[in-house]
Amino acid sequence: MTELPKEVLALDQKIINFIRKGVDQQDPEGFNKLALEVFALQFKSISLYRRYCEKRGIKPEKISSWEDVPALPTDVFKVMEFSMVPSKRVRTFMTSGTTNPEERGKVGYDEGGLRLMDATIEEAAASFLFPDGMKTKVLIIAPSPEMAPHMIMAYGMNHLKDYFGLPQSCFLVGRGGFEVETLLKELRSSEEEGTPVTLCGGSFGFVNFFDACREKGLRFKLPSSSRTLDAGGFKGRSREVKREEFVEECGEILGIKKEFSVNLLGMTEISSQFYDSTLRNFHKGLPLPGVKINPPWTRTVVVDPETLKPLPNGEIGLLKHFDLANRGHILAIQTDDLGRKIGEGFEVFGRSKEGGARGCSLTIDEMTRIEKGK
Amino acid sequence: MEHIEVEAYYLPSQLKGHIKRLRTEVYGEGEVRIDLKIPSIDDTFIKILTQQIRKNREQYLAHLPIEKIVHVLDEASRRWLDKDYPLRRLALKTIPLITGFSPEVVEASIDAEMESSLREDMWRVLSLEIGNPLYLDDFQYSPHLDGYSRAFGPELIVSIFSENIPALPHLLFMRSALVKSACIGKVARGEPTFAPLYLKTIEEIDPKMAQCMAVLYWQGGEEEIEATLFGQADAVVLFGGVETCRSLLEKIPRRIKTLVHGHRLGFGVIGRKRMNHQELERLAEEVALDCSMFDQQACLAPHVYYLEEDGVVSPKEFCQAIAVAMERLNQRMPRGRISSGEASTIHQLRAVYEFRELKGEDVLMLASSSRTDWTIVYEKDPGTFSPSPLNRFIRIYGVEDIFQIPPALKPINFFLQNAAVAIGDDRENEFIRILGELGVARITSPGKMSIPSMMWHHDGISPLSSLLRWCDIEKKG
Repeated sequence: MTELPKEVLALDQKIINFIRKGVDQQDPEGFNKLALEVFALQFKSISLYRRYCEKRGIKPEKISSWEDVPALPTDVFKVMEFSMVPSKRVRTFMTSGTTNPEERGKVGYDEGGLRLMDATIEEAAASFLFPDGMKTKVLIIAPSPEMAPHMIMAYGMNHLKDYFGLPQSCFLVGRGGFEVETLLKELRSSEEEGTPVTLCGGSFGFVNFFDACREKGLRFKLPSSSRTLDAGGFKGRSREVKREEFVEECGEILGIKKEFSVNLLGMTEISSQFYDSTLRNFHKGLPLPGVKINPPWTRTVVVDPETLKPLPNGEIGLLKHFDLANRGHILAIQTDDLGRKIGEGFEVFGRSKEGGARGCSLTIDEMTRIEKGK
Repeated sequence: MEHIEVEAYYLPSQLKGHIKRLRTEVYGEGEVRIDLKIPSIDDTFIKILTQQIRKNREQYLAHLPIEKIVHVLDEASRRWLDKDYPLRRLALKTIPLITGFSPEVVEASIDAEMESSLREDMWRVLSLEIGNPLYLDDFQYSPHLDGYSRAFGPELIVSIFSENIPALPHLLFMRSALVKSACIGKVARGEPTFAPLYLKTIEEIDPKMAQCMAVLYWQGGEEEIEATLFGQADAVVLFGGVETCRSLLEKIPRRIKTLVHGHRLGFGVIGRKRMNHQELERLAEEVALDCSMFDQQACLAPHVYYLEEDGVVSPKEFCQAIAVAMERLNQRMPRGRISSGEASTIHQLRAVYEFRELKGEDVLMLASSSRTDWTIVYEKDPGTFSPSPLNRFIRIYGVEDIFQIPPALKPINFFLQNAAVAIGDDRENEFIRILGELGVARITSPGKMSIPSMMWHHDGISPLSSLLRWCDIEKKG
């Protein structure tokens, strides 16, 4: 396969070097410089995005801060693709399409983009999921990338498994669905052998597993240093569980210490991952509550839902993310997640729901639910 | 800071002593704070209330001549139309704060509702539905029967409102009074203040009539209270979401007459003959008004306006005129406050259309400059009907021929309610006939969507005669 253009490879190398400095570096100037370089290249290469920026009066030579880079709303990925080098696309990830399955967002990756994502996974997990450097058996309640080639979580967890996991690590969702028996067997053998486990997957998968265990009266006492990593919320695929309750269940059913339950915010449109700082703070002996942390190669800004202008710290608004590892598509992404800046990071409350009783007109959500129910 | 205390309930005077506890819900924004007083009620309270209200009706409203009833309701509407009427001024403070609608929107809606609730409107609806309104007072000679007939309304109507459109409770209390029924309405969290104020007006005019009416408010899903209330009713009228109505229906005993007004949607159609320069500005203003009243939250509002191609003015040109009108209207009658989720949906959808336009698709996105106040998206009719995210977001579909529209509406025909139609050539009758067959309940003109006449068959139902029971006396042979 022909390589990516030289300027792209050169930029990727700079970003990789920046990521490889780890999550503790403080180099806001370095971030700004790289963000502007990524923006300039995307502006040059992605003509639709360029026109979008120009309509807003934004050009690379006109701005001096990453904060001024125009963000792309996530829904736009449902109607078109944004690739810096479309001809070099090797992988397309799709959003899970919570409402209309036909309207799934698509994000294309070139080889360089995948290398950047790999680097973010390695650096972020090393700090937030394995701050103790522990080698564990990584058990994944999700399909493998072969089974779900368009699922970014499958890709990420696979890399996590290969990079950090012991040889027995495996995926637990196969052609026939969730392989509960295999998971039970693996958990029992870990208990017996004393091999610590990292159980990871979608949050709803955990909850369904907990429900199954409770029904069968099963409990585990996994070796200390075992941990969980869950991501993605419930999306109507299991009962809704509050974070504290989730962590309690990890303790009750798996025997996992509460500091060892780590949550991750991942999105198809964002190459990097936002871990919570629970385990990392515990490892460092910091008595801080766990919040989502921006690794130094990312930024998150909370904006006013009406004006999309930044809000002061602490106020609730929509999350807008900037990620250097998004070099292959678009640096700045405007999400429809509500959240707020807090302490050293941010909190995410998920998709904003309509509040209170509104009018008597049929709504899109109502229509979707009715269509599904029929 | 102004401090206003309002009651989210209205009860016959005999019941006041039975309220054990009042809780307070506080709404506040800047200069005004509202303390909403809400009584804690239980099963026993409901039983006492229903008994008392039936008794009050039997002693008064059941025997009140229809002429007197119309007079009281007419007087109430006239008071509300007076800009200096203290209760109107109070409602203009409470409703915007609680619902987020701008005061201008609320004011326009009160005017529209009350202007269509006057004496002549009531006589017309009574004649339309009952023929001779005096059937409600006593047996009247019926030439068709060659005998005598009389209409009886239910003794007690219970109604559940689950939305924030102030018009609905007022309309139902009027209808109940016209059929001489006592009425208990449960108002929604979205807007619980208008109905109690309206009943205070009735009390000012005819205290005994007001004793036959009550407004209650509780959080939905109070199983026991709802069951008791439904069990005591002779008729139930439900307003609400499709799912809410479905679950409420399960609680209503089968013998009870029930009318359901679920969430619906509207649309508009402008034919090529009407797409001309002479009418452009006025029609655009009318379309803008349809999309802006109640911030498009009412089921009367359009989600989509179809504009036919090959007129003198193209659909895209027409959109530019609507944009001017939307902006002008927003200055005069600003869009209200919306939730973060609603605002986010609008931004996301705008971006989708903006990019489709940038990509060269035949699409147009016009919007208020920085906020989400109003949005117009134009595209060629995709052949399927997509609902709008509302809050003054109108979809414009350019259609080659108006007869391509009905097939696209077929899959959602159950939800169709209102259509504004302006065709202007000899196809109009045929087109309207098809819409009628499809399930549309009301066909009107652009600009009139939000103000149905008092006479309309609400959601295709005859709102008065559906509640009546008839007794006929045949002439002895």
